[in-house]
Amino acid sequence: MQFPARCVGRMMGAVLAMTCAFSIAAWAGGAGFGDDDDNSEEEGPSYFGFVRDTNGATVPDAKVTVGVKNRGGIVTRTDLLGTYKVPGFGKEVDPKDVEVSCDKPGYKQLRVVRRSSPSTDPKIPVETECTLQRI
Amino acid sequence: MRGRVIAVILVAAFTAFATAAVWSGRTVAQSPFGDPNAEPAPFNPQMAALMSMLIQPRHTKLGLAGKAENWPLAGYMLKELRQGFAVVSKAVPRFKGLPVPDLADAAVTQPLTLLDFAIKLGYQRQFDEAYESLTKGCNACHATTDHPFIVIKVPDASPFPDQDFAPKR
Repeated sequence: MQFPARCVGRMMGAVLAMTCAFSIAAWAGGAGFGDDDDNSEEEGPSYFGFVRDTNGATVPDAKVTVGVKNRGGIVTRTDLLGTYKVPGFGKEVDPKDVEVSCDKPGYKQLRVVRRSSPSTDPKIPVETECTLQRI
Repeated sequence: MRGRVIAVILVAAFTAFATAAVWSGRTVAQSPFGDPNAEPAPFNPQMAALMSMLIQPRHTKLGLAGKAENWPLAGYMLKELRQGFAVVSKAVPRFKGLPVPDLADAAVTQPLTLLDFAIKLGYQRQFDEAYESLTKGCNACHATTDHPFIVIKVPDASPFPDQDFAPKR
C-alpha cells in the first residue's frame, strides 16, 4: 500500500501543526504569577514624556510634536496625566535625530530635556520632558 | 511503500516529542503546580497582582472609611495606600517601558495630599472631592498604560463583610 505524495504532504502539515500547537501549550504552562502581557514590537525605541509647567505640575492636552530631522514628524497631545507617547519610527532612525517640542495656548516652551536611561532595553522609550511657561 | 514509511516516521517523531514535552522535568507523582520538595521560589508578583493586592483594596477601604466619616481609619488607609504605591513603584519601576514612579506621582500625589488635609480636618465634602480626584487619577494612569478598560470607581458597597467601617463613638 502506498500513500500518494499529496497525501504524505498533508500528513506532514498536520504533524507540523500539531507539534507547533503542542509546543505553545507546553510553553504557556510556564507563565509566572501575575505576569503582564507584553506587546513589545520589533521597532526602534518609542518616545514618551511629560509636559509640565514651571511648578512641576503636569499639563494635559498640550500639543507635542515629535519630529525626525528633515523628515517631518508626528503631532500628538498629552493625556490626562500630562504624558505623550509616540511609537518608534523604525530602526533606521537615530533617536538623536528625533526632536520634541510642546505647545499650548497661553504658554510658551521653556525647555526640553531628554532623560538618559542607563538601560539599553529597547522596550524602554526615549524620555523627553518638555516644560511650558505661562505667558 | 516509501510514503508509508515517511508517514510512520513522522507520527513516531511527533509522539516522541509530545511525550517528552509533557514529562520533561516531571517525576511520576509530581503535581502540575510544581515540586513540593523544591526550594521556595522568591515571590515576585507583577503589576496586575500588586494592584489587586496592595492598591485596589486600600482604595476601597479608604473610600468606605471616608464615607462613614471614620477619620482614624481613613487616615490609616491613606497611609497604607501611599505605602502601597511606593512598594509598587519600587517593585515594578517600569511597566511596559514606562516609568512607574513618575506615573504614580502624576496620578495620585496631589489627590493624596488633599485627602490628607480633608481627613485631618474631618471635612466630608473635601474628602469626597479629593477621593473622586484620586479615582480619576487611577483611571488616567490606566489609560496611559494602555489599560483603559480597568475602570475604578467610588465604591457603592463594601466587599468586606467582616469589617465595620463605622467610627467607634
